[in-house]
Amino acid sequence: MIETPLAVDVAFWFFGVASVVTAWLVFRTDSMVRASFYLLASFVNVGVVLLLMRAEYLSLILILMMAGEMAIMAVFMVMFMMNPAGLNPMNMVHQHRASVAGGVATFVALGAVGVFARFPDRPARPTGVTFALGQELLGESMLVFESAGAALLATMIAAIALASSRGRYGQADDGSDAPAFDPDRPFGDAPPRPVASKHEEQAGKEGADDMHDMRNMDHERMA
Amino acid sequence: MTATAWWGAIAGVGLAIIVGAYLVAVADRAIASVVAGEPMRSSILAGPARSVALGLVQSRTTTERPDGAAWALAPALYLGLAAAALAVVPLSETLLAADIENGLVLFGAAQALAVIPVFLNGWSPNSILPLIGAFRFIAQALSYEMPNLLALLSVSVPASSLSIHDIVASQHGLWNVVRLPLGLPLFLFAAASLAFWGPMNLPDGADLAGGTQAETSGLHLVAWRAGRAAMLVAAAAMGAAAFLGGWLGPGLPGWAWMVVKTLVLLVLLVGSRHVAARVRAERYVVISWAVLIPLALLNVMIAAVVAL
Amino acid sequence: MSLQGALLIAAALFAVGLYGVLSQQSFVMIMMGFELMVNGSLMATVALWLWAAGGNPKGQVLAIVIMTAMAIEAAMGFALVTTIYRTRKADITEKLRRLKQ
Repeated sequence: MIETPLAVDVAFWFFGVASVVTAWLVFRTDSMVRASFYLLASFVNVGVVLLLMRAEYLSLILILMMAGEMAIMAVFMVMFMMNPAGLNPMNMVHQHRASVAGGVATFVALGAVGVFARFPDRPARPTGVTFALGQELLGESMLVFESAGAALLATMIAAIALASSRGRYGQADDGSDAPAFDPDRPFGDAPPRPVASKHEEQAGKEGADDMHDMRNMDHERMA
Repeated sequence: MTATAWWGAIAGVGLAIIVGAYLVAVADRAIASVVAGEPMRSSILAGPARSVALGLVQSRTTTERPDGAAWALAPALYLGLAAAALAVVPLSETLLAADIENGLVLFGAAQALAVIPVFLNGWSPNSILPLIGAFRFIAQALSYEMPNLLALLSVSVPASSLSIHDIVASQHGLWNVVRLPLGLPLFLFAAASLAFWGPMNLPDGADLAGGTQAETSGLHLVAWRAGRAAMLVAAAAMGAAAFLGGWLGPGLPGWAWMVVKTLVLLVLLVGSRHVAARVRAERYVVISWAVLIPLALLNVMIAAVVAL
Repeated sequence: MSLQGALLIAAALFAVGLYGVLSQQSFVMIMMGFELMVNGSLMATVALWLWAAGGNPKGQVLAIVIMTAMAIEAAMGFALVTTIYRTRKADITEKLRRLKQ
């Protein structure tokens, strides 16, 4: 057991419950942008709880990481969602009852493990946590740490290969649908777009390369 | 910490932010008249106060169906993050609001979170120009964040500590601005970008009719501008502590050195608005990713070699 | 503040995340659910490190590995969403009927 002042207890439960409530609001809110900011709020609340649990470095790194990630997520919302500004209502769920049942069952099972299982009672020392972590990361656990780095490098390469708009064979979206929302067309079965666009046909063979370059410039400007 | 120390720390940081933000406004006007070759008028000192008074009595404009809560939260959050960032910077060897082991990480986290209020301020009015400004700022933030964090990280290597107190102490004899020559320029670039000030002002530019602040008025606008000024103050203070040796220096007491160094960096940052043109968004992004991140990595490597 | 309390909150976060993963149609919302699940396990790890592992720093190393997994999940998720949107113009799961075959 660790004896803590009352203020720490109150803060722990406040931020802990707040993290769950904001997590729930992620799926209850109307707007995608609000959803991503509720998720960020949930992470910041968990960060504060980690701070109270003496994992100072982990808590701050979590907040630092999630701030950047949620910014990217908000951009993705606007890129890919049918409701770009995100101020209009939306509700996109399937198999709702089964999901609620799955969630409740998981909570009961995991919660029961948390409450009824017997864990060893060996509390951590309160000081020098960050220093010990640094020693461990560049000492005994260096292999783990470096593997994480290698995995992240592989992820970066794979993500760029997947998402890059220009590959070895030209623009990634050549031959696919123009990105536009078209309610009349059946999902997923749209015929592919021809490679050459109307502008290029009008410009003739000599002008085709120039037009292509201009289109690339437009892509870069938008990026 | 005792209760008195808590209140003292909070009051100190609050005072530093108010005085600092006012100084930014005054310096901005003073540098503008120097650059324009005009004589200094007495209105330079009282001008910011007049703007604040105007903001207090001005009636608030609003837009069609805004997200009111998020809109009101944005300037408060921005100011709060600036205060959190400033709280970890020591004024002198003994005078320090928040003495924590991971001060540098807290500063970085506060700066990274600053993306959120700027985006909220542009998104929540439900208006087109602020929204464009908000998305510009996200592109900008994703570009400057890496050089900023790597520049911050480099100063912790020679100090073998993440505590800012230790980082200042490690510069006894040789300041980091000499030891890691790339660090301070990178950090100042990121600082100006973070407060979207001067040449780095992509989200609030005149081409967007004010960008994220196009629809704000009154007290909200005053708070928003104060937040930007406070962010500049926090960055200047951190730059002074991390690269210019903080309280170290001959003759004067420690806090005086710290104030002088912070003011020097502050004048540099504020003045950039009047001597440099605004960069274009795509050029900014390319420079950040292709030039500044490699330079920042080189800076970390220099730090590692120096620390050996 | 106790181990049981922390594990209970972690379980709730994990369950809310699982609900989101199962119920949402939009890819990005599903990714948010995954993030919440990882978030819950991160909290449980730190709680066990603090109360049951005697402050062994290896517990924090595990937490860092979990955060790495979170970052990889996010990066790969965003890349896959971009690719699927480019090739199939799909942003929700129901548009991917062809994957069933």
